[in-house]
Amino acid sequence: MQCLVMLRFRTLAVLFTMALVAVGCDSPKAEFHLDRVFLHKTFGEPESREEADSLRNQVQNLKEVMVGLFGNPDEPHVPQLTDLDTTTVLDVGLIEMAAGRVASDEAGRGRGLYREHCAHCHGVSGDGAGPTAAFLNPYPRDFRMGKFKFKSTPLGVKPTHDDLRKTIIDGIPDTAMPSFRLLDDDEVDSLVHYVRYLAIRGEVERRLVMEVMTELDTGDLILDPEDRSNALVEENLELVKGAVATVVGQWANAASQVTEIPSPPDQWDSHDSVQRGRDLFFGSVANCVKCHGQLALGDGETGDFDDWIKEIDEKDPASKAPDFLALGVVEPRLLDPRPIRPRNLRTGVFRGGRRPVDLYLRIKNGIEGTPMPAAPASGLSEDDIWSIVAYVRSLPQEPISRPEVQVEYTRERL
Amino acid sequence: MNSTIHCESPWPHRFALVLVCVTFPLIWVGGLVTTYDAGMAVPDWPSTYGYNLFLYPWTTWFAGPWDLFIEHGHRLLGALTGLITIALVIVVWRNEPRRWVQWLTVMALVIVISQGLLGGARVIQDARQLAKIHGCLGPAFFALATAISVVTSSFWKQGPQLEIIGNTRSLYRVALFTAVLAYLQLIFGANLRHIPVTADVGQFRVALFFHLAGAAALALHVTILIWMVFRLTQPVKALRRPVSLLALLIVMQITLGVASWIVKYLMPISAEGRLREGGFVIEADGLLQALTVTAHMAGGSLILALSTMLALRAVRLAPSGTESSASFFCTSSRLTELTT
Ligand code: HEC
Repeated sequence: MQCLVMLRFRTLAVLFTMALVAVGCDSPKAEFHLDRVFLHKTFGEPESREEADSLRNQVQNLKEVMVGLFGNPDEPHVPQLTDLDTTTVLDVGLIEMAAGRVASDEAGRGRGLYREHCAHCHGVSGDGAGPTAAFLNPYPRDFRMGKFKFKSTPLGVKPTHDDLRKTIIDGIPDTAMPSFRLLDDDEVDSLVHYVRYLAIRGEVERRLVMEVMTELDTGDLILDPEDRSNALVEENLELVKGAVATVVGQWANAASQVTEIPSPPDQWDSHDSVQRGRDLFFGSVANCVKCHGQLALGDGETGDFDDWIKEIDEKDPASKAPDFLALGVVEPRLLDPRPIRPRNLRTGVFRGGRRPVDLYLRIKNGIEGTPMPAAPASGLSEDDIWSIVAYVRSLPQEPISRPEVQVEYTRERL
Repeated sequence: MNSTIHCESPWPHRFALVLVCVTFPLIWVGGLVTTYDAGMAVPDWPSTYGYNLFLYPWTTWFAGPWDLFIEHGHRLLGALTGLITIALVIVVWRNEPRRWVQWLTVMALVIVISQGLLGGARVIQDARQLAKIHGCLGPAFFALATAISVVTSSFWKQGPQLEIIGNTRSLYRVALFTAVLAYLQLIFGANLRHIPVTADVGQFRVALFFHLAGAAALALHVTILIWMVFRLTQPVKALRRPVSLLALLIVMQITLGVASWIVKYLMPISAEGRLREGGFVIEADGLLQALTVTAHMAGGSLILALSTMLALRAVRLAPSGTESSASFFCTSSRLTELTT
């Protein structure tokens, strides 16, 4: 009897030790990964062995150049530019506060904020492929294309500092993106700078990949460490600097391109205005109905994809995704390239904010990276847009917006 | 009954109980340290910002930031637990004749010391992997403290009061296995929680799978245990109570587990669309998140301790009577008098 129990104790001890060893397996060092989907798309499948080798060298060199420019997650660098002040866009102090491992000092000032709060979803490289990402819908944003949805600037222009602050502080309702309102002001600023750093890093990488593809001869390195003298190096150095300057410049200019929001006309949310908005919504100019559907339940055009999924393939990402998976790239968007759904406008939940000005900006400027278009420059006046805002805001109040009625409707359609 | 060893002193049990009662809050606070990512709020060890652990000015401690408050508090509670363990070792060695019980307390002391060192190493080397081991050894210590308090209890010394007919032997086997499972499940949970940010989605998926499978297995085992306990011919309160409480805890724990996911990531994607969401915004590091997740973690330790207790009691009730079992079970003359 005692013997038996002792035996059990031994089994127990063995199990404990095994479990603890399993727990103790060390995690890899944090580093920035190159965007392998983009690389593969750009360079395609190498045809011969030599080609594969020279490509590998080029990519390795690219990786080194990237580390030279931006450092690594534990020691980030900010590339220095001679004719552009980078500090408003990339503040070294703030970036360092968000980078590296998690810690805090006696005054409670945090360190490693990005890894503490963001990386488990957005990934260390900002690729939106953190460990939890596959389980979230929508997927966490991949910063590397430098596209952000909810902002006060037109399509194609970067978000401002305050736009990113707003998303971090308010969070995004009905998604896994939480509100960080409990963080200190400078902590949020630090995260904004770090997100921008990751975005710029990603965009510069994409540009350099394109440069290698278009400007360099097969097998040529961007910056050959053994060859510091000749003209080619000078030329390539200019290419690299040019890429960085373009991207940083775009971010620096965002603040000057904020869309001006005209104050709404009198009676903008009157019954008449709502009716006008309704007509516009269904009309052929705005044509919101095309995507958002007859009942604005977001069931009009449902087969489209957002730009992050379209990266896999414009038309049929689902059938191309396995190719990338076969290369060993594990990203949630490859595991399940979900189509984008136009928003159901009857829930009253708007991801970019539900204030009239938020809706004005969404409708006026569209939503970056998604099929949601900007209002056509001609054909819709500012007052028209305010009327549409009024109509969109009135939708959740209509009887059909109650869930039972919607279920009924869906059943009928099925 | 010449071979009977007498264990008269109530003190070992009392000290063991105190140890259990101090360890549970220690585990809570430890969980909070992880929840708030406060593990590095004090960068040095064993000193706190240069001060001796016990001499760190309490005004600075109370008035300081929350991170520092819980990390230093965790250290103080840990030190207290260590001191109580030392006391327990002394009391047991002086009053308890059973060798193996004496060595159990030594084992507890070794664990508590390693636990302190691990915690320290985690700070000095800033290694999250060590944090995970530290977090897994804590509940093991809690279970050990519970075990010591069970084997020194009067229940243990008294033995079965009535003849129990039923399959007690397979009962204790299942109970022991449940305790092991509870511990493994705890480790799976820690694995999920401490998943490194450098892990990829595949690794997270595996960690999640194990934790969910563990939950299912544990729930199944507890159901079987309930069935076995309530099927015994005699209503054995000493088993019925813990097993019922265990079942209750499992239900709570599963609820808390689902809640932990929801307060962090919103609806699991399998439930999306079917449950209407109402424009809910998660608050990062808010009270709701911290309490839910820490309660889930503490619940795991409680389940482990309770299943350990149940297993040991089942061991005690299993048929015995051989010579060698005397030193194992021990009796108290006071109790024997009472019962004969
Ligand atoms: C080509 C398809 C398309 C058209 C046309 C379109 N939308 Fe959208 N809309 C979308 C998609 C897709 C989304 C979801 C974007 C996302 O996931 O962030 C969306 C989102 C929205 C949102 C939600 C914003 C938020 O903060 O959550 C509003 C409001 C909206 N659309 C209004 C309109 C209005 C008004 C019009 C007509 C002027 C319109 N849409 C035309 C596709 C379209």
